[in-house]
Parts: sequence; structure tokens; C-alpha cells
Amino acid sequence: MTSSLRAVAATKTLRRSSLSQPKLTENKNKTMLQPEASDYLIETLREKCPAVDSQLKEESEEDNTPSPFSFTPQRIHLHKDHELFEDGDIHRHLYLQNLSTSEPDDKPKLSVSEFACHISGCSQLFSSVEEYEHHYNSLHRHVCCSCRRSLPSARLLDIHIQEWHDTLFTVLAQRQDMYQCLVEGCGQKFRTSKQRKDHLIRIHKYPADFRFDKTKKGKGTRGMKSEQQSDTAMEVTEDVCEVMCDTESDQTEGGEAMEPHSCAGAAVHQAISAPAEMHSDLSAAGHGATNMSTEQGRPRYSYRVPKNVCFGQGSVRGFRARGRRK
Amino acid sequence: MWRLNTVHHKAGRAGSSLEELKLKRREHEKALRQARRDRQLVSKRLLLNEDEEQPGSPMDTNSGDQVVDLFGKLKHGGQEREAHLKALSKALRSPSAQLTFVKLENSMHLLVGLLSGSDAQCRLQAVRCLHELSNSHHPNVVPACLPATPYLLTYLSGQSTKFTELCLYTLGNLCPDSEVVREKLLAQGIIPALANCIQNQRHSLAVVEAAGFTLSQLLQAKDAAEKVIPMVLASGLPPHLLSVLTPDPQFGLAPAIECAWCLHYLTCSNVDNRLLLAHGALARCSTLLVSLGDAVAKGDKEGGMELLVWPLLRCVGNLLSSGPMEDLSSQVGDVSLLAALCALLQAYLHSQPALARECAWVLNNLTADSSVFCSALLALSLVPGLIQLLPFSQGINTMVLRVLGNIAHKKKEHCVQLAQCGLLPALCATLKMADQEMVTLSLEVLFLLVTSSPRVAEDFVRQSGLSLLEAIQYNSEGEVRLRATHLLEHHLISHHMVDRVTSQ
Repeated sequence: MTSSLRAVAATKTLRRSSLSQPKLTENKNKTMLQPEASDYLIETLREKCPAVDSQLKEESEEDNTPSPFSFTPQRIHLHKDHELFEDGDIHRHLYLQNLSTSEPDDKPKLSVSEFACHISGCSQLFSSVEEYEHHYNSLHRHVCCSCRRSLPSARLLDIHIQEWHDTLFTVLAQRQDMYQCLVEGCGQKFRTSKQRKDHLIRIHKYPADFRFDKTKKGKGTRGMKSEQQSDTAMEVTEDVCEVMCDTESDQTEGGEAMEPHSCAGAAVHQAISAPAEMHSDLSAAGHGATNMSTEQGRPRYSYRVPKNVCFGQGSVRGFRARGRRK
Repeated sequence: MWRLNTVHHKAGRAGSSLEELKLKRREHEKALRQARRDRQLVSKRLLLNEDEEQPGSPMDTNSGDQVVDLFGKLKHGGQEREAHLKALSKALRSPSAQLTFVKLENSMHLLVGLLSGSDAQCRLQAVRCLHELSNSHHPNVVPACLPATPYLLTYLSGQSTKFTELCLYTLGNLCPDSEVVREKLLAQGIIPALANCIQNQRHSLAVVEAAGFTLSQLLQAKDAAEKVIPMVLASGLPPHLLSVLTPDPQFGLAPAIECAWCLHYLTCSNVDNRLLLAHGALARCSTLLVSLGDAVAKGDKEGGMELLVWPLLRCVGNLLSSGPMEDLSSQVGDVSLLAALCALLQAYLHSQPALARECAWVLNNLTADSSVFCSALLALSLVPGLIQLLPFSQGINTMVLRVLGNIAHKKKEHCVQLAQCGLLPALCATLKMADQEMVTLSLEVLFLLVTSSPRVAEDFVRQSGLSLLEAIQYNSEGEVRLRATHLLEHHLISHHMVDRVTSQ
């Protein structure tokens, strides 16, 4: 269910430029609105559908979902042996035993909370919000719902979804130039993925083994860094994408960096229509996982993000849309 | 009496470097922590002679033999008894000598005889010997001292302050060792004796300090709640303890410190806090905290002040949770206590984070059921300072977040004000913390803020709140996921509508 909506949203994003909405600033996460834009949009919403808010409110009340929030102010009584009192008691007894010192102890006592990525299977710790943000933005942000690959930017994610999971694309690609150049602003399109790759190498001086230009099902992968599989699709996976599951790979491979691959194989594009990927999504978003395991053979990571977990713009939006929840 | 100054001399001691001392102290601290966990935290105090700086390790290795020898001499009587007793008290500094002494037949009988005899100087030296014995941790030594206790108690109403002090500390050292000893002392009337002492010897702060110490030893015992505390409450001691609380500028903090700890043991037991409240305990402790907070805010942080602040905080904190808030808030006085607590919190944040945490706890108890105090925190501009404490762990941030939650819970206008103080960006950070309690609490407070007004909800969305919550929907904890989802689906839904519109 989730991924179908995601795919739908993806299709829609392709056509976003035709919207008469103010152009949203390109951003890492498309759900984030810029301040001015959001103001405008909120106003627009209110103008257009003044009844929306109240209608939704009615709906949510009808929903009868009990609120999970339970905080109530409470006075707390602490008994003599409570652990909260330990330090003070020790201080008192050191004084009684003449062991107090007015010299400040060299070890610093005050400590700062750590931050953690709580995404299932991730559990990395950070000493600052910035570190956490960097981690999250690099590895959990632009993730394709269908195959759970993590891409380094919204644009590459869009292109990925389009080229890998959009049957419409596959159909159109048979007749017209659909493969966009990966360089923003170039605008050129190509009939095949190989042509695009050549363009990237010749015109934009990209390395021949540029990581993010992998096609869906490649033939042979020679000289791969990892001992893995026959599927080029997995190359990207192991290093970049499933990072949300496997933190080791994050550290060794460095996530989103455009590192040269040792694969010299030419990626051959196969115009495989992703079999009912879009439509089967209406059931459960499970296909991604199953495809992966069969294609891969031996998964390198021990954790897998649960099947119904999906990141990337639009996914959760879709998940949350009203009317779909039944 | 004890002064913190005396401890500085240790640093200058020949033969031990500062590093060694620090190491020893740290080890000792570790031992104390373990003892507390085993509910065996016991301390004894050794009153030094005027000619001594600090308790040195006994130089004499054959003090055991000395003791036997001296005992023999004492049995014969004579003019040199005082000198022998003095030598004996020195010898009894050694733990092995202590053991040797109590094993000698009739040794205690002799000592008690001298203690209760007509020679004043001998009494003094005899009590010195007993004092050394009371300092022992060996299970055989303290019970052996029991024959002396009725006399020690009698002398508490005597007039010789030095002598009384020694008696008091000796009794105080005997208290924590065993239930048997305590029962005997209670039966012999130690509590009325202490009450008399504090009341009638008010002029001698050294004696008051010693009595406070002894009482605190009794009150700290495991069985204190059943056996000791009811008697203390009935004895008329509480008002005297309260009157000692204001520190004497010349004598120092020590008597106030002892009495404050007594009051802490009384209040946290919850036996009868109404009685303490009736005597004005809450008012007194609050007033004192306010003056201490004022001093600290002016930069006037006396060494050792935390020893007094700590028990006062605990008294106020626990008294605040012992009745309906409407009755209590009048006793707390005006809202200046809030400023004082915040000042103390800031002052001790780095040096004693646990004290800062307890300040936050008292703030919680003040604000939980009182909209007056909640409004005051906002009005006194104390909230931004509290928000800045949210990065600090060890229970500080969770308690501070509770306080902020208390404020938010009272009124929607408070939520708006909290948002104006910058709570939303702070929550965006705390929602990413490793501590799941912080994450859950943050969601709770966020819920209060976001549902208070559309403006606040919009502010949150503007600060990338939606994507933050979306990420939290995949948190490993179910309770956390539930809350994030609920917020997104029920309370930020209109902002989702915006998203959907744009994508179409």
C-alpha cells in the first residue's frame, strides 16, 4: 500500500513543474516546506477549503482513537534510600569522615546526553545533534520505498524511482528518450542507460564506474569490491542503500560518497517492466524485500528494515493519507 | 567541631602527595557508594585533641602491649591515673589495641568507674578513651562500651562543654552499629536527653552541632521510621532543630548542617510531616533556601554551603509532596523560591550536578499542582534558563522537561509562551536523544504545545517538525512510534493536507 502511493506520488512529482503552485525550493526532503511557501500554502488551503480543518477535526473525533499521551504533572516523593539521593549522601559522609575537599576534582562530573538514531536496526550513537543530522540525512533520507535503496539526493531518488519502479517509464522508454542526464541542469535525455553513461563520461567527465548509474539488472559484475552477487542492482545496495540496516557498511564505505567502483562491467539496460510493482503494492509493501533476498543470495547484513517501513518523500505522506487507512 | 579548613592541612602532610590523597579519596568514595547500596552507610567522627591536627596513624606498633601495661597500672590506682589514662587514650587510637583492651577482664568496669568518679580530669580522660573505642568498626568493640552509656547520657545535661561534646560524639558513634545498641540507648532515654541538650545548651554551638550529629546518626538507621522517628517527633525536638537552621556567621555552617540533615531524615520518612509543617518547617526551609540562593546569585558561594543546601532541598521537596498543594503553597511563601532554586541550579550545575538535579526536582514539586508557580516561572523569565539545561543528562534534563511539561499542562497560553521562549527547537533536539525517556517526554510536551494553538503547530512544522516526527515513526520503541503517529495523524493533519495539495 505504501509503495503504490509512493510510486503514484513519484509520478506526480515528475509533473510537478506544471503545477500552478509556487515553486518549492529544491530541498533534501521534499516534504519540508520553506517558510514563506508554507505560509502561503497554509493560507491557500484555508481559502480554498475552509471547511477542511473542521471536517478533518470531525473525522478525527469520530475516529475514537484514544490518545496515547499520558503525561500528568506529579509531585514526586523520594525516600531516604532513593538513588537520586546517592550523590548527596556520599558528599555528606565524606564530610563526616573529614574527607571533603574544596579542591575541585579533576574529573568532570556534568555530562551531556547523547543522541541516537532509533531507526530499527540502526542504533548508532552521536555526541551532537549535528552528527546525528548528518547521519540521518545521509543514510535515511532519500530511500526508495520499493527496494529500500538509499540515494544521496532527492533528485537521484526521483530518477531511481522513475527508472526502476515506474512501469510508465519503462513503456515510454521503448519509444523515446527517457534517461535523464544525472547532472542537474544538463537536461539531456537518452534512449538507453548506456548512452547516458557515455554522455556522463564524455561530456561531464564522470568516472566510468560511477556508482549511482547502475541499471536494474546488469549482466555480470566483475571485480567487485564485495564478494557479492551477480546483480548490479546489489552493488549500490550493499554500499549505500541498506546502510540503514547495516551500520558497518556505512563506516567502511562512507555512505553517499561517489567512490569509484571496481566494477568494469558495462551495465546493460534491460527494459524489464517491473512486474506489477506498482499494482501489487496495493496489497502489502512486501515485494521489495522478497525480491532482494532472492536476487541477492546471501544478505550481508543481519538486520532488515521491516517491510512496511518506508522512507523517502511521499511515502509516509501516502501512508498517512486519509481514506487509505482502512 | 569540624571546619572544612582542617582538611586542607591534609594536603601538606609529609609523605603523601596530592595525587595519592586524591586516589585514596576516590577509592574511599567508591567504598561509600557500595556501602550505601548495601544500606550500610555508616560514619563516625573523631574529635581531636587541641594539640592534634588530624588523626594520624598510630605510630606505636605495640600499642596492644602498651594497653595491657597501662591497664595494669590503672588497676593499682594512684596519683598518676590521669597520665595513664591520657596515654591509654592515645594507645586506643589503634584498632588492634582497642580489641585488646575490651578483651581484658574488667577493663570496661574500670573505665566506667573512672568515668563516673569524682576526679574531673580523670573523667575527661576516661571519656576520651571511650571516644576512641566508639570510633571502632569492629563488631566486638562497640557493644563492650554499653555499660558506659547511662553515664554518658547523664552528663549531657552537664555544664562542661568540652566534656559534653565528647560524650555526644561518643554516643553518636555508638548509635549506628547495631540494633541492640540503639534499643538500649532509646530505652535509656537518649532522645529526651538530646532534646534537653539542644534546648539548654543553645549558647554553645559546638554542643549543638554534636547533638545534631548524634541525632542524625539515630535517624539514619534502617529501623528509624518505626523506632526512632515517632519518639523524636513527640519529643519537642523539631522546633529546636528548626531554630538552629540559620547559620551563625561566626561559628559557621556546621550546626545548621547537622540539624538540616536531621530534618531531612524526618521528612523523607513521611511518618508525620503534618506535624513538621505545623511547626513551620516548610516555611523555614524555604526562607533559608531563598537567602542561600540570593547569596549564590551574588557570587557569594561559601565553601561547604552545598552541605546545607542539600538537606534543605530535600526537606522542601518532600514536604511539598505531603499534602494538598493549596495548604502548602502559602507556607512556601512568595515565588522568590523559584528564582533561588534556579540560581542554585545554575551555580552548582558543573560542580555538583546531582544537587542541580535535586533543585530541578523541587521545581517539579512546586509546579506540578500549582498554576501560580507555573505562571511565575514564566513571568520571572526563568524558563529560557531552564530550556538551556535540556542537553544535560544524569536526570537533569528529564526533570527539567517535567517542569516544562507541568507549565504547559496548566494553560494553553503557557504553551504559547513556552514556544516563544524557544522550547520548540529545543524539543527538536531532545527528540533525537538516545535516552528513550527523554524522547517520550519530549513527545508528550510537544503534544501539549502543538495542540495548544495553531500558531505553535505551524511554528513546529516550519522547523521541519513533520519530517522529524516521520523519522520517529520508525523508532524502535512502540510507545514512541504510537505518539509520533498520533501527533502526525490527528494534530498536524492539516499540515499534511498542505503536503498533499502541493504534490497534486
